[in-house]
This record gives sequence, structure tokens and C-alpha cells, in this order.
Amino acid sequence: MSNNAMVRKASSFEIVNHWALAVSFFVLAVSGYAFLFHLEGVGSVFGGFNQMRAVHNWAGVVFAVSLFLTIFHYLPVSLHFTSDDAAWFGKAGGYFSKRAAVPPQDELNAGQKLYYLVVLAAGVVISASGIVIWLRPWAKSGILLSHLLHNISFDLMVIAIPAHIYLATLANPGTFRIMVYGTVPLSWAKKRHAKWVQRMGF
Amino acid sequence: MTTTNRKALLISPELCIGCRGCQTACKAWNQLPGTKTVNRGTVENPPDLTPQLYNRIRYVEMPSETSVRWLFVNQRCMHCGDAGCMKICPAPGALYRTKEGAVAFDKDKCIGCKLCVEGCPFDVPRYDEKGKIAKCHLCFDRIAYGLLPACAKTCPTGAIRYGERDALVEMAKKAGYQKVYGEMDLEGLGAIYAFRDAPKIYGYAEKPGIPESVVFWHKVLKPLSYIGLGGVVAASLIHYVAFGPKKDEEVKKDE
Ligand code: SF4
Ligand code: SF4
Repeated sequence: MSNNAMVRKASSFEIVNHWALAVSFFVLAVSGYAFLFHLEGVGSVFGGFNQMRAVHNWAGVVFAVSLFLTIFHYLPVSLHFTSDDAAWFGKAGGYFSKRAAVPPQDELNAGQKLYYLVVLAAGVVISASGIVIWLRPWAKSGILLSHLLHNISFDLMVIAIPAHIYLATLANPGTFRIMVYGTVPLSWAKKRHAKWVQRMGF
Repeated sequence: MTTTNRKALLISPELCIGCRGCQTACKAWNQLPGTKTVNRGTVENPPDLTPQLYNRIRYVEMPSETSVRWLFVNQRCMHCGDAGCMKICPAPGALYRTKEGAVAFDKDKCIGCKLCVEGCPFDVPRYDEKGKIAKCHLCFDRIAYGLLPACAKTCPTGAIRYGERDALVEMAKKAGYQKVYGEMDLEGLGAIYAFRDAPKIYGYAEKPGIPESVVFWHKVLKPLSYIGLGGVVAASLIHYVAFGPKKDEEVKKDE
């Protein structure tokens, strides 16, 4: 295959699912901040806090379902940690040197693997605790713990996800197109995901 | 809480005769329906606060060697200076501070999340059939017109008194109570109690406090949510300026 050929990095299902995650996260985070800090202006965009509560809860359902659907695709590769991944972290992914020579990476690089595991863990906790706060399945018990966990995972996410957005856009030109077209130039894939290219036999 | 001229209720179980006029007057003013109760072998009824019962008399029966000592304690929202319910509430205006320093509510603004129930150190907030908060609001709608709260107005013995908070504290001290319950706790309660014995005998914690997880959330997790987000955005900008994006051309040389 010529280096200019395009190879598929994400299926259309993954693209749609990723957008569902992104949009629901945005709605959840914005309304979440509005609840935390009583942002009345944001509340009125949603048509008042009562309505914002409903939107927040149902956006949470969308987020939880799409997060669940990512598991099949990203979890196995993320759990597969190799010495190349350790070396990648040793070089901080090459993000702090002009000459980036990092060890060859699989379909996800070491940073992406770690990111996925963090977001998956935080996502499971925030979804489960959100459901407890919403539906109060055990009357009074577990609500304060859920409130605490919901907010800890919220803090984790508003740190991890913007970093992910930066790295997938400005910091790495050519990456964002995966979320639009699902394809990347083979030359690009060879540089960033050499082991994956080899494994796939492109 | 910063309110000069703060008002309060002084509750004196020693003066209470257990007539429950306060319960009835509150229901009448707030148009809260009566509820069917059952005989549980005590005159205390109902057994707990409900969405239709904003205050009630708790009957404590203390057997002594010769007879039984009865304590009648008016149970209600304490209008805490540092109110756990307000702290945890996500809906602006659902719970609010009146200019007398009480904690009132607005059912239209309440979103029915019921978190206030968890944030309260005194297990006070209840919620109605629509899931909206229901509790004592210190008759803000009477006070505004210069009337006494319904309970204080009705109480025939002075066991519930409404007035300037400072004056009430002084009054209780003059009456021989060295410690007034709620004088200092939670930045001062808006319902203070003249207890003769240890608070726990009357059903109150010695040192009431907002749940620790709520305090931690308020002091640490809330600020972290915007410091964290702001920090990542700033770090990204700095990284972009200092190191710039990954350049494919440079990597090419290694090929
Ligand atoms: S007693 Fe409970 S409901 Fe009343 S002000 Fe204090 S925290 Fe709020
Ligand atoms: S139930 Fe209503 S008053 Fe209570 S915390 Fe939720 S929004 Fe606030």
C-alpha cells in the first residue's frame, strides 16, 4: 500500500458513538458546573433548573450507554500494557522534546490507554453514583457516598477530558479527522501506531 | 452567616405542657392537611416530622425511681447559621436566607433532588408527593407583615418564643441556663434550646455538624473542579506555545 493511501482507524459506529460521548459529556459538564455554582444564566439556557435536572439525568443515560459500548473496542487493547508503553511514558510520549523518537505504539498509544482506563473508571463511578442520587434505590443510604464519588469523578473528568481534546486536536494535527472520517493516511499511522499497522498488515 | 438583627426561636422544654398547639397552628397557617395516625401507646403523635408536619412535639419519657419524667421538645428546622441543606442544594433560590436569618424555601425553584435531606445535621427536610422540599420556614410570610410565627403565637406557656436572637440568648441565661443549645453551633442556630440536661436526652447531638463528606466536597472538590479545568486549559496553551504540535516531518527523518 502506498504511503498516501488512507487506512481506517475508526468504524462509523465508533465515530457516532464517540460523538454521543462528546456531546453528552459537554451537556453534563456544563449543567454540572451550573448545579455546583448556581449559574442561573446556564440554567435559563436549559429552560430552568428543573428542566436542566431532567436533561442532566438523561444525558447521563446517553453517556453511560455510549461509554459501555466503547468497552468492546478499547478495553482489551488498553489493558494490554507492554514494555514499549513503559518506555513511552519514560519519554513522556515525546511531548516535551522537539525531536520525538518514541517507541512504536499499538492501536492506542500508552497515554491513550491510560486515558481510556481513567475515563472508563471515572465514567462507571459517575454513572452508578448518578443513578443512586437520581433514583434513591436504598432510600437514604448510599446517597452521601454517591454524592462524594460523583463529584470526585467529575473533577477527574474535567481534568482528563480537556487534556484529551487538546492532544487529539491542536497538539497532534491530523488526529481529529479520525472522529470525522475515521481514516488516516498510512504514513501518519506508520509513525504513530507502527505496531498496529504491522499487526493489521496494511 | 452575616445577618445583623438576627431573629430566632427560643424553645424551653421545661415550660412546655405538651398541648401541641404549635403543631396545629402551623398546619392551619400553612394549610397542611391532617394525617390519620395510630395509637402507639404514647401521646406523642405523629412519630416524626412529615411533609405535612413542619414542627411537632417530641415526647421523651424518662423513667425515674419514683415516677416518670416527661420532656416535651419542639422539633423543627433549626435555621442553622451554616446550613447543610443550603450548602448541598444545587438549585439557586430553592433554599434561601430570609433577612431575619431563617432558611426558607421556594417549591417552584426546588428541583426535587432531595440532597438537602442528606446535608441536614438534624434530619429535618421532608419532601412532598411531588418530590419537593417541605419544612419549617419560620413563617417568613407572617414575619414580613409583623406577625409572630404561628407556633410562637399559639404557644400558651412561652415554651416557644420568637424575637431578637441575642435577647433570647440572654433571656435563657438569666433564667438560669448556663448553656443554650445552638448558641454557637453551626454559626449559631436560629432555633435555640434551653435544655436542663444533656442535649442527647432531648434527642439532639452534643455537637451537631454538617456531614464531613459535604464539607470536604464544599471546601475541596468544588474549587478543584474549576482549578483543574482551568489548569488543564492553561497547561495546554503553555505546551502549545513552548513545544508546539507534533510535527510529522521531523519524525520522518527517523524513518
Ligand atoms: S436544620 Fe436542617 S433544614 Fe433546617 S437550616 Fe439546618 S440544615 Fe437546613
Ligand atoms: S430537594 Fe429541592 S431544596 Fe432540597 S437540595 Fe434539592 S433542589 Fe434544593
